[in-house]
Amino acid sequence: MPDFGTAFSGLASDRKLTKSEKEVQMSLKDKYAIVGVGYTPQGRVPGRTAMSFHVEAISNAVRDAGLKREDIDGLICYRHFDSVNGEADITPYLVAQQVGIAPRMMSQEANCARSQLISALGWLEAGLCNYVVISYAYNPNADPSLFARIADNLTSNVFGQFGATADYAMAARRAMHVFHTGPETWKHIAVGQRKWANLNPAAQMYEQKVTFDDYYKSRLIVEPFSLLDNCLITDGGRACVITSAERARDLRHPVVTIMGVGGHNPSSSIEKSTIMAGPTGARESGKTALRMAGITLDDIDACEIYDCFTYTVEITLQDYGFFQSGEGEDWLKGGTIEPGGRMPVNTSGGLLSEAYFMGLTPLTEGVMQLMGRCGDRQLGPRTHTKEPQIILCSDNGAILQTHATTILRRL
Amino acid sequence: MTTYNKPLPQPNADDEFFWRGCKKHKFLFQKCLDCGLIRWPPSFLCPQCWSGNTTIIEASGKGKVYTYAVYHLAYHEGFKSDLPYVTAIIELEEGPHFLSNITECNPGDVKCDMPVEIVWDDITAEFSLPKFKPVRVTT
Ligand SMILES: [Zn+2]
Repeated sequence: MPDFGTAFSGLASDRKLTKSEKEVQMSLKDKYAIVGVGYTPQGRVPGRTAMSFHVEAISNAVRDAGLKREDIDGLICYRHFDSVNGEADITPYLVAQQVGIAPRMMSQEANCARSQLISALGWLEAGLCNYVVISYAYNPNADPSLFARIADNLTSNVFGQFGATADYAMAARRAMHVFHTGPETWKHIAVGQRKWANLNPAAQMYEQKVTFDDYYKSRLIVEPFSLLDNCLITDGGRACVITSAERARDLRHPVVTIMGVGGHNPSSSIEKSTIMAGPTGARESGKTALRMAGITLDDIDACEIYDCFTYTVEITLQDYGFFQSGEGEDWLKGGTIEPGGRMPVNTSGGLLSEAYFMGLTPLTEGVMQLMGRCGDRQLGPRTHTKEPQIILCSDNGAILQTHATTILRRL
Repeated sequence: MTTYNKPLPQPNADDEFFWRGCKKHKFLFQKCLDCGLIRWPPSFLCPQCWSGNTTIIEASGKGKVYTYAVYHLAYHEGFKSDLPYVTAIIELEEGPHFLSNITECNPGDVKCDMPVEIVWDDITAEFSLPKFKPVRVTT
């Protein structure tokens, strides 16, 4: 019987690394740093173009790092969704034009490959760039018809399958069947992350308290998901600046290095996927990042996990190895990931309750926590949690088709 | 007859054999003549052995529910009156997974691994859609 799944056997990505490959990877440990984070107003922000948020986020990130426009020689934009109100499609060269730079290197993912940070490291390591900016921005609330337009002209649309919620709902349903997870488990994520948002004045759900009861009463969208399993729709942007750890020492903020990175992309769409209940790309990606960092999960103080849906958080933590398949509820219950918990997760509120800026929501929060700039939600004595030295961040794209891991450390 | 107001298949060079088969109520898939993989979605080369040596086989239309979703919100005007409706991925007897709908079944009664069989929905003069219904066990 042939293998119909995602993972054909014997792929290069399954191969054991040679000693010299390991040495190359480990030579990057702590060599590069994230030195600035750029925010914009976020939530429902009328009267703004997507481009204006890119420009604001990038300029704020560069200023935050104590750098100047002229210093930036690399630009990477996350993908952008359909432009609204006749605005031009976001391209990295239009963004560069608007921020007044002519970078040596630039790129933009077309969809959700999520390799931005690792690309930036490549440009820095090759000596092509000294300061790379990564940005994402969008203004979805400007066009109320956008939601209806997510019909994406696929064969699956013919059968009424539309959008990421339904595809992830299918993945979550399979996981319910395979390892008996479900809303009983996800409620700890839905409620726990909102408690972090309640400590973050910039979070879209800052003022909204969410209880287990609210979760169970939440309106069904695509079963098994209800509204509170879903991430937010956000107008706004986010950006960060990456450079060498050596240069970072001369800049304004505490040095937050990139200790390890990894990636793995199972790639098969939901129609074909056999990894929807794990192991997802998080398994191999996490192993690669931990190996580069030379640490184990016991060294991780907090996690910033890409959380498009509650289930995404569960399967990512499970595949990273924080708990065995199906033991998520036991691991999560009692406030594990909440303020005061033993493994804080998504301390800004995350995509579920702070703001949706793709992988930059988790990544920049990890940086800000390690810099000690998080106010009431700051990890450490303020939130009765461990003072963080090392934070594990994830990025995930499409329907568990792509995955990237970044381990950050405060030097 | 009211106008069909849901999205229609948009056959391309890779999958037009499939939609042409559907019109005749034949559920057709590519089979690799070298390694035997029966594949969906259609592809130019076999993703397992890169052979372009391909034949077309007719699937039995039997399988089981691999996973499913129950819509309580219509993302497209055409599906509003169907709510709540079920989309499902069917693990076909022959191997491939196929995304379709479960019909003739209460959404609450759909289960993973539930045996299902094909039922054709003739939506327009040009197109028929392969959908699936539970296999009724006769006692
Ligand atoms: Zn083959």
